[in-house]
Amino acid sequence: MTADVRAHATTIEMIEPVPPEVAVGAGIILKVKVSCAAGCDLDGTPVRVTAAEAAVESALGTGALRDETAEITLEAPRQAGDHTWNVVCGPHPSAGIRHGETSLPVRIRTIPHATSLAVWAIPSPVAMGEKFGIKAGAKSSAAVSLAGLNIEVCDETGAVVARGRLGAAPFPGTSALYWTEVELPAPAAEGLYAWSVKLAPGELDLPHEHASTSFSVSIVRPPEHRLTIKVIEKDTAAPIANAQVRLGVFRGATDQSGLAQVDMPRGVYDLNVWKIGYEAPTRTVELNRNISLEVEVLSVPEENPDAAWLM
Amino acid sequence: MGRNSRDRGPRENAVEANIPKSVSRRAFLSKGAAGVGAAALVGVNADDAQAQAKWDLSADVVVIGAGVAGLPAAITARDLGASVIVVDENFDIGGRGMLSGGRVHLGGGHALQQKAGIKDSADQVFADWVRHDSAVARYSDRDLVRVFADENVATFDFLVENGVQFRERPIGPEAASTVPRTFVTVEWQVPSEVYAPGGGRNGSGLVRRLEQSARKKGVQILLRHEMKSIIREQGSSGKVLGIAVNQPGGALNIEAKRGVVIATGGHTGNVNFRRTFDPRLTEEYQQACMPYVFQGAKGELAAMDIGAALWATANQTSESGAAITKTRHIGCRWGYSSLVFQPESKLFPLAKATGLTVSDWQNMIFVNQNGQRFWNEADGSYRFFAAAMAYNGDTAKLNGGGPIWAIFDADAASRERWDTKPPHVDPDGYFYTADTIAELAPMIRNPHQKKPISGAVLQETVNRYNAFVTAGTDTDFKKPTPMYKIEKPPFYAAWATPILHDTLTGLRSNTSGEVIDIRGAVIPGLYCAGESQGGFAQHGLARCMVFGRVAGRNAAKRDA
Repeated sequence: MTADVRAHATTIEMIEPVPPEVAVGAGIILKVKVSCAAGCDLDGTPVRVTAAEAAVESALGTGALRDETAEITLEAPRQAGDHTWNVVCGPHPSAGIRHGETSLPVRIRTIPHATSLAVWAIPSPVAMGEKFGIKAGAKSSAAVSLAGLNIEVCDETGAVVARGRLGAAPFPGTSALYWTEVELPAPAAEGLYAWSVKLAPGELDLPHEHASTSFSVSIVRPPEHRLTIKVIEKDTAAPIANAQVRLGVFRGATDQSGLAQVDMPRGVYDLNVWKIGYEAPTRTVELNRNISLEVEVLSVPEENPDAAWLM
Repeated sequence: MGRNSRDRGPRENAVEANIPKSVSRRAFLSKGAAGVGAAALVGVNADDAQAQAKWDLSADVVVIGAGVAGLPAAITARDLGASVIVVDENFDIGGRGMLSGGRVHLGGGHALQQKAGIKDSADQVFADWVRHDSAVARYSDRDLVRVFADENVATFDFLVENGVQFRERPIGPEAASTVPRTFVTVEWQVPSEVYAPGGGRNGSGLVRRLEQSARKKGVQILLRHEMKSIIREQGSSGKVLGIAVNQPGGALNIEAKRGVVIATGGHTGNVNFRRTFDPRLTEEYQQACMPYVFQGAKGELAAMDIGAALWATANQTSESGAAITKTRHIGCRWGYSSLVFQPESKLFPLAKATGLTVSDWQNMIFVNQNGQRFWNEADGSYRFFAAAMAYNGDTAKLNGGGPIWAIFDADAASRERWDTKPPHVDPDGYFYTADTIAELAPMIRNPHQKKPISGAVLQETVNRYNAFVTAGTDTDFKKPTPMYKIEKPPFYAAWATPILHDTLTGLRSNTSGEVIDIRGAVIPGLYCAGESQGGFAQHGLARCMVFGRVAGRNAAKRDA
C-alpha cells in the first residue's frame, strides 16, 4: 500500500470584516471561508482561533467548515488595546488528498466599555450655606454591576466636595443604573452653580471609561418672607390645583385648595402661574413682608386640543 | 388613497366580489357596459397604446377617487341622469374623509345656521374668504371663491338630502370666517368600518352616508382600481376620452363619454411632487392620515401628463393653516394630531403603535438629528417648523432638517400618565429607552437618522436645558418659563418629526371645474375637485364637496 503524497493548497479569508473596534470582553463572531482551488469537499475541517503567540492547542474558539464556511464565536480580549489572532484551518484529508494547514492573522482592537451618569432630585433653589442632597447613578455599557464604585461631586473649580458609593441594586425602572444619594454643602454665596459628577471605574474586571456630567443648582439668600398664592378660575372663583408657580428661580405648585406657598428673601419678582388650559398674565410682586395674593386664571378649555387641525 | 394599505382591507368591493372566478374579467366587465371600440386613441403613454385599443367599461362620467370630492361628484352626476363609475385605488372608500373630524365648514345661511340664529350669506362667505388680512384667504383665486360661496347652501342641502347627519352645535368663527360655520357630522355607527373608531372620526359618517347614497342611486364604485393615466385624443390635445386603470385582475380601460373627474386627493405623500413647492419637504416628514391614505399626487401627475397646469401655488407655502403640524402622538411612525389607531383598529398592524399623546410641551425638549435643541418646544407656529427644517450642518443633507426627537424623562412620563411600552410606542425605530442620556443618544437608529447622535452632545443639550429650568429662563430659545428638568432615569427618545397635512394647491380649473392646460385652454372633458384642485386654500372638507358637486354637475351636462 502506497501513501498518497498529493496535496492541495487551501485559501482562507474573512467573509465579513472584523469590526474596527470591539468592547473588551464583548462577544464576537468571526465568519471565515476556506476553499480548495481544486474544489475538494472540506466539510468537517476544524477551524480554530488562537492568540498569535499561543499554541494551537490553546484555542480561543473553534468551529468546523460546512459548505466552505465556518462561524467561530469568541470573547474579545479583556484588555484594551491591539491584539492579533490567528485563524487556523486544517490539516484535512479529502478524498485521499492532503490539505495542509492554512492560517490567517486577524487584528482586533479592543476598547474599554463606556460609562455614563445621571443626576436627579436636585433641589432648587437651595439657601446658601445649607446642606442639600442629590441622587446620582452610573451605567456601564456592558450592563455590569457598578455596585460599590465611588462617584465624586466636584464644584465649579473642580474641587471634590463630596463622594458617594454606588448601592447594590439598580434604580427602579432602569436596567443597570447603580445609584446613591450624596449630601452636599451649598456654597456660601448666591448664584447659579454648575457642578459636576464623575465616575472613575478603575476597580472593575473589565476596563471602563471614565464618565462625567454636570448639574445646576441655584443658591439663594435664606428666605425672609412667605408668599401665599391662591389660584382661582376667573369666572367661577373655583380653586385651581396643580398650577405651577414660578418666581425666577423660586417655585411652587398649588394644592387641592388652590394654595401655594413660596418662602423667599425680600425682593421684586415676576410671578408666573401656569397650567395647561388656563392663562394668566405675568405680574410683578414686591416681597417685603409675608404676602397673600389671589391670582385669577382664565380658562381656555381645549375641547379637543387638535380641533383646529381636524378636517 | 392608501397605497401602503392596499390589499389588506377587510371589505371587498361588491363589484369585484360578484365576478365569477371562471369568467374572464374583461368579458364580465364588457357585458352590458362597454366593449365599444375606441378607434384612434392616443394615450399619454405609448406603452399603453395597445391596451387602450378597447374600452373595458364605459360610463358617462368617470370619477377618480371615492372620497370627499369624488362621492359628491358621482352622486351629483348620477342625479342628473348620467351613468357613473368611481374608481379608487384603496381597499375602501372615503379617502382622508374617512379619518377626518367631520368638521364641515359651510355657510351662506343654511338650515343649521338659521336654527342656531347665525346670520350668514353667500356674499359674506365670499367676503370672508377673499380677506387680504388672512393668509389662508389672500392667495386664492377669487373666481373660485365666488363659486364656493354661491354653492354653500346648496351643498349643505345636498349632504342632508343624501343622508349625512350633523350635530346641531355651531363652531366658530374659524379661519377666515367671521361667523360660526363649522358643523360636525355624526360618526359612522359601525366601528369596524371607521378604522380609528371612538376617536372623533366623524368624517366616517360623512363618507359612509355618501357611499350608501351613491350605491343606492346606481353609482358603480370600483375599489382597488388604480388610475394609471388619463386618455386624451391626441396626447396633449383633443378631448379626454377615459382612463386606464390597474386592478387585481389586470389593466382596464374605462371610457368616459362625458367627462372624467379627478378627485384623487392631495400630494403630501409624494416627496418629489411636494418639493416642487417647498424643497425642504424631504422624505423624513410624515403625512396625515397614513397608513390609510397616501396622497400620492396621482391625479395631478396624470393631468399634467396631458398638459394640465397647476394653480395658485403660493397657497402651499403661505405659512398659515395646517399645511404642516406638530406631532401630537410621539413615539410612533404616524403621530398625526388627534388621529390614533388603537390596537383593535384593522389598520393597527400597519400603524404599529398608538403613540404617546402630548398634553403639555413643557414635558420634553425637541432635538434635531444632531441632538441639539432648535426652537421653543411650546411653539406651534411656522417659525417652529422653519427651525425644525433648518440646515443644521449636515453636508450630506442640505435640504430638510432631518428627524426630530422628543427627549423626556421618567417624571415627564409620570406627569403625562404615559405607559412607555408597546402598543403605545414603536420600539422599531421610533421610540428608545435608556438609563442615561448619554446612553440614549447612540441608540436612536432610524431610516431617517443617518448618523448616530453623540451621547456627549445630547447630554450637554439636556444639561444646558436643565440649567435653564433651574434659572427659570431659557436664554437659547425663550421657551416661556421652562418648567421641568429632564433628569430622572430612565430617559426616552420619541419620534416627533413634523407632519404634512393640507394640500393647498393643485390643478388649475375654471369655475365649472374644467381643468385648464399650461397655455390657459380648457382640457375638454377633464374636471377636478378636492385637494387635487388648486386655487382655493381653505382647510378641510367644504371646498372638496362644493367643487365635487360643481365638477360632477358640469361633467354630466357635457355633450357626449
